[in-house]
Amino acid sequence: MKRIIKLTINGKPVETAVSPNQTLLQFLRDDMNLTGTKHGCGLGDCGACTVILDGKAVNSCLVLAIQADNSEILTIEGLAQDGKLHPIQQSFVDKGAIQCGFCTPGMILSAKALLDQKPNPSELEIRTALSGNLCRCTGYQKIVEAIGEAAEVIRMREES
Amino acid sequence: MLLPKFYYHEPATLEEALRLLSEMGGAARILAGGTDVLVRMKLKIDKPSHLISLQKIPGIDVIIQRENHGVTIGAAVTAAELSTNELILERFAPIGIAASRLGAPGIRNRATIGGNLVNARPAADLSPACMALDATLKLKSAKNEREVRVNDFFRGPGETLIEPNEMLVSIFVETPPPWSGGAYIKLGARKALEISMVNVAVLLTLQSQDGPIADVKIALGAVAPTPVRAFAAEEFLVGKQPSSELFKEAGAIGVGMCEPITDHRGTMEYRCLMIETLTSRALNQAYNNAINWKPLPV
Amino acid sequence: MGDYQVLNTRATRVDGPVKATGQAKYADDFKFQGMLYASILQSPLAHARILRIDTSKAKKLPGVKAVVTSKEAGLIKYGVSPARYDETLFAHDKVRYVGDEIAAVAASDPDIALEALSLIKVDYEELPAVFDMFEAMKEGAPLIHDEFPGNMNAEVHQEFGDTEAALQSCDLVVDHTFLNKRQDAAFLEPHSCVAVFENPGRLTLYTSTQVPHYVMRTVAMTLQIPVGNVRVIKPYVGGGFGPKCEATPLEMSCGLLSKITGQPVKMTYSREQVFLHSRARHQFYAEMSLGVMKDGTMVALRNKAVLDGGAYTSFGIATVYYSGSLLGGPYKLKSMKYDGYRAYTNKPACGAQRGHGGVAHRACFEQLIDITAEKLGIDPIDMRLKNIMVTGDMTVNELDMSSLGMKECIEAIRAGSGWNNKKGKLPKGKGIGMACGFFVSGAGYPIYRSDTYHSTVVIKLSEDGGVANVMTGSAEIGQGSDTAMAMIAAETLGIKLNDVRVYSGDTDYSVDLGAYSSRQTLMTGHATKEAAEDVKNQIASYLAQELNVPVASITFVDGIVKFDGGPGNFEKLRTNYIKEHRGWTDPPTGEYLTFREAARMAYLKAGTIVGTGKYKPPRLGGSYKGAAVGTSPAYGCSAQIVEVSVDLETGEITVDGMTDAHDCGLAINKTSVEGQMQGSLSMGLGECLFEEVKFDSRGRIINPSLGEYKIPTALDMPKVKSIIVESHEPNGPYGAKEVGEGAIMPTIPAILNAIYDATGVRINELPVTSERLFMAMKNKT
Repeated sequence: MKRIIKLTINGKPVETAVSPNQTLLQFLRDDMNLTGTKHGCGLGDCGACTVILDGKAVNSCLVLAIQADNSEILTIEGLAQDGKLHPIQQSFVDKGAIQCGFCTPGMILSAKALLDQKPNPSELEIRTALSGNLCRCTGYQKIVEAIGEAAEVIRMREES
Repeated sequence: MLLPKFYYHEPATLEEALRLLSEMGGAARILAGGTDVLVRMKLKIDKPSHLISLQKIPGIDVIIQRENHGVTIGAAVTAAELSTNELILERFAPIGIAASRLGAPGIRNRATIGGNLVNARPAADLSPACMALDATLKLKSAKNEREVRVNDFFRGPGETLIEPNEMLVSIFVETPPPWSGGAYIKLGARKALEISMVNVAVLLTLQSQDGPIADVKIALGAVAPTPVRAFAAEEFLVGKQPSSELFKEAGAIGVGMCEPITDHRGTMEYRCLMIETLTSRALNQAYNNAINWKPLPV
Repeated sequence: MGDYQVLNTRATRVDGPVKATGQAKYADDFKFQGMLYASILQSPLAHARILRIDTSKAKKLPGVKAVVTSKEAGLIKYGVSPARYDETLFAHDKVRYVGDEIAAVAASDPDIALEALSLIKVDYEELPAVFDMFEAMKEGAPLIHDEFPGNMNAEVHQEFGDTEAALQSCDLVVDHTFLNKRQDAAFLEPHSCVAVFENPGRLTLYTSTQVPHYVMRTVAMTLQIPVGNVRVIKPYVGGGFGPKCEATPLEMSCGLLSKITGQPVKMTYSREQVFLHSRARHQFYAEMSLGVMKDGTMVALRNKAVLDGGAYTSFGIATVYYSGSLLGGPYKLKSMKYDGYRAYTNKPACGAQRGHGGVAHRACFEQLIDITAEKLGIDPIDMRLKNIMVTGDMTVNELDMSSLGMKECIEAIRAGSGWNNKKGKLPKGKGIGMACGFFVSGAGYPIYRSDTYHSTVVIKLSEDGGVANVMTGSAEIGQGSDTAMAMIAAETLGIKLNDVRVYSGDTDYSVDLGAYSSRQTLMTGHATKEAAEDVKNQIASYLAQELNVPVASITFVDGIVKFDGGPGNFEKLRTNYIKEHRGWTDPPTGEYLTFREAARMAYLKAGTIVGTGKYKPPRLGGSYKGAAVGTSPAYGCSAQIVEVSVDLETGEITVDGMTDAHDCGLAINKTSVEGQMQGSLSMGLGECLFEEVKFDSRGRIINPSLGEYKIPTALDMPKVKSIIVESHEPNGPYGAKEVGEGAIMPTIPAILNAIYDATGVRINELPVTSERLFMAMKNKT
């Protein structure tokens, strides 16, 4: 039996029916056509499906769509504003933190959740925040550097 | 990975949840963080026909300080909350550290202490931590309510003494006395996203800053079908003046309580050796924390 | 290095923004009207005769559109190398591993497809199975393929010089053995494909592959569709690392099901199926003897390999050759003997993975060099420097080191890591180790015997003159090839990088053998450069004619045209251009003629400007059997130093730091080169410390998940110091060569040598879990 859920996705209100056994990941990809959120394992082992749910980074493959009722979801599609990349996205591009790109949306959202909480994280805090987002391409180094740089950009922007 | 079909319930009160649970008995599972039950359902290890979500139930996901003599942790408090809560980290450190080593941030943001305990995995992070702190669990059903000590709770892999119509609603932990210190050590392959090969939680209390050991609790995970307390090692330590040598001996005694298995993560032999080493190491850490005990700022 | 405008910079990737915003489309992101969902039935048994397959119940399930088995698919054999086509799309006589494909279903939704699979009834007669490569080669072992007695899939025997005599003449001969474990590539994107079959008989596949060209050929062959009617489009790919280098049952099933139903068909492997499909790193056993003189001069190497191939050949023949040929360098040897054996076992087939065939044997050899150096009392770095090859050297097995910055790499890491202050001076529990390695820049021959070009590229200028469209069948799989090609085109044409667009991964665009054996920078790069030169020459000729100046006086730099280095007299062209574009908002200005004006005016004269380029390697290598594997137009090389801490009480290893130097010829894009280096190190670290695909006693994978098959997390990787060493490779475009695979070669032995330095214990079996190291330390004392 489908049920109606009401939620906000990337700032836009959505009201729609979902099946109980639909994960948030399936809902976003299949029903909302937000395919930027990736399916890597389905078991919470890889982090490719990371989205921000009410301010927290979660594996959307382990959340039911129905559980997202009344929540606020941010996916990778909602990060750039008016066609301008978010500073984390920009520094991922600038620093070469992207290779195949499959982990990238999840990585960027984990980084966003971190920087929202801790605007000036240490390298260990960055690595810890990413420790559930597997990347097989980059060795993480340029990702860590990119997040450090983005943090600086965001801080400077907020100071000015 | 597809989830099988099931009925979803989202009760607004605890009473309603318990009523649903008593009606459905074994056919229902509680859905809190979902990081365990949804995985088990996807892998077809578990096939409940009903999921009862705790999401709308008020008050079940909070940490309440009990006027200095203890803390009540709602069953739906997440590992992320435990790993950052100052009171928990200061006074109930094994729980805070264990929570910080569970999975990875995305998992910790959903996984709950209740789920971690009730799933009763031998390698769970929070079980030994709660055992070292001698936590008490409040189990409720539609008609009854009872309290059990976490030390009596586990029965085997995936088995506890919780009844199908019961739900774990909260965990109470008494505040350790002055000059107490805790530790939690986890041995796994990677530095995150790990299931323990061995884990050890310790709470050690001194009679005074430079006094002998007044009390100690040592709990070990992934070393037997359930997490276990190393009672013999505890008894051996009480009343003695702490030292590294003493902790080493205690580690050797601790192994006696364990019957680890050989599986693809590690052999029995290695696990036994690590119990010894990590027990002694955790005792040393707990001792160092104990001598640095400070009253909480008011 | 030359004075480049675009090359040799840190230009950002051309696909960066679409990937950072989630707009980049991967195969599973595609949806089509009326699309069906498919799934594959895989064998639960490791070795069994198929007695009967009953699909009737599945066919009757509402929502099921087609069910196919070998009856519908036929029995056309395929594989990677035509010499060993040993697979059919679906098993018909027997299944040979847990996961062997038996049937496929297409249904209106994924749930129904899965339910239909459960309704297919297969009767089996279980057969004895063999899972261990040594057991498989013993007499009386269960036979997996009737055509291959002794389960011997491939055997290689090569000798260069008289190795036994050379070993006898040595002052010291040291032996070593090594065993790695079966690995998984663990790319983040599971295989996925959508097949669209349209009348009249044309099949398009959108698929996650490294090799659109080979997929096109294999699918055409097995589904009996004329090859010209099969088009393979590779969208963005979430990593490949080797196992996506061949056509999969998933692709063929989707194609067949779409052909039968007339509807688009999608299938995506679960993570478990990715493990079952495998085609990743083999398990290798290595046995080696190295003969040296007292002064450290290496003389002779005897090398034996046994490979656990799994149930089918896949890339295995090349793999077993590489395990031998890739030890020919980078050290001078007088003789080398190699005996390699690849056995069939009842496990998923192994194939190519980063550092194909070379990684485990390199790990053994580089440990052996350290052991030997210690016996001789020589510093491991000095030992290597004493024997190192330099540009122009030829290995004993006739690999031509047309450029080789090996020595420079070693010197760079020695300085960069502070080796001299650390080696031999660290406290117990801390260690430092080094190793070297090299790898091909593309295979000298295609997988099938053919005179085909390995790469062709078409560059078409937009008719407004503003944009160069590079069209290529090459495969961007994350390594950055689209960016590299854009940069090569921009540099060659003398235009801005922003004015190049790359259309890649489509078999309708051009021939390109794809992303394997680290070939695209060199081979596709050559073709791109040639196509750009063609375009440039056409425009230059037009200008020369139109303005009556010598062609040789014309140069293109950064989007402008210079005549004898100056603006020249081009007024006539600009006036005409502006006349043609009245009302446009961006009339050309400035004292120089722009490329856009020139290209537009050339178009007005000659029609669309199209340039083409092509590349195939010259005939390479020796005349001995198997010389085709390992020969390459060029070789990249690298050296690494690793520092570790070992917890002596638990055996836990922490890699504290890595210093890596790689000679990639000219670094087309320095950021991308570092990215490949760092990614290689991370994979090597995982393989060394954590990774192992494990099986139970019935051949089922115990750990087919990314939770239990452990690749490094961000917390397991240390900071890497990456040093790019640039040689000039005469056979590479602008002097460029590989970096994607060679960089993994030294990682494992460097870690192992560091662990030895920290503990005094030599580990010769992977992965080095805390238990393996602790027990080895314990058993030593």
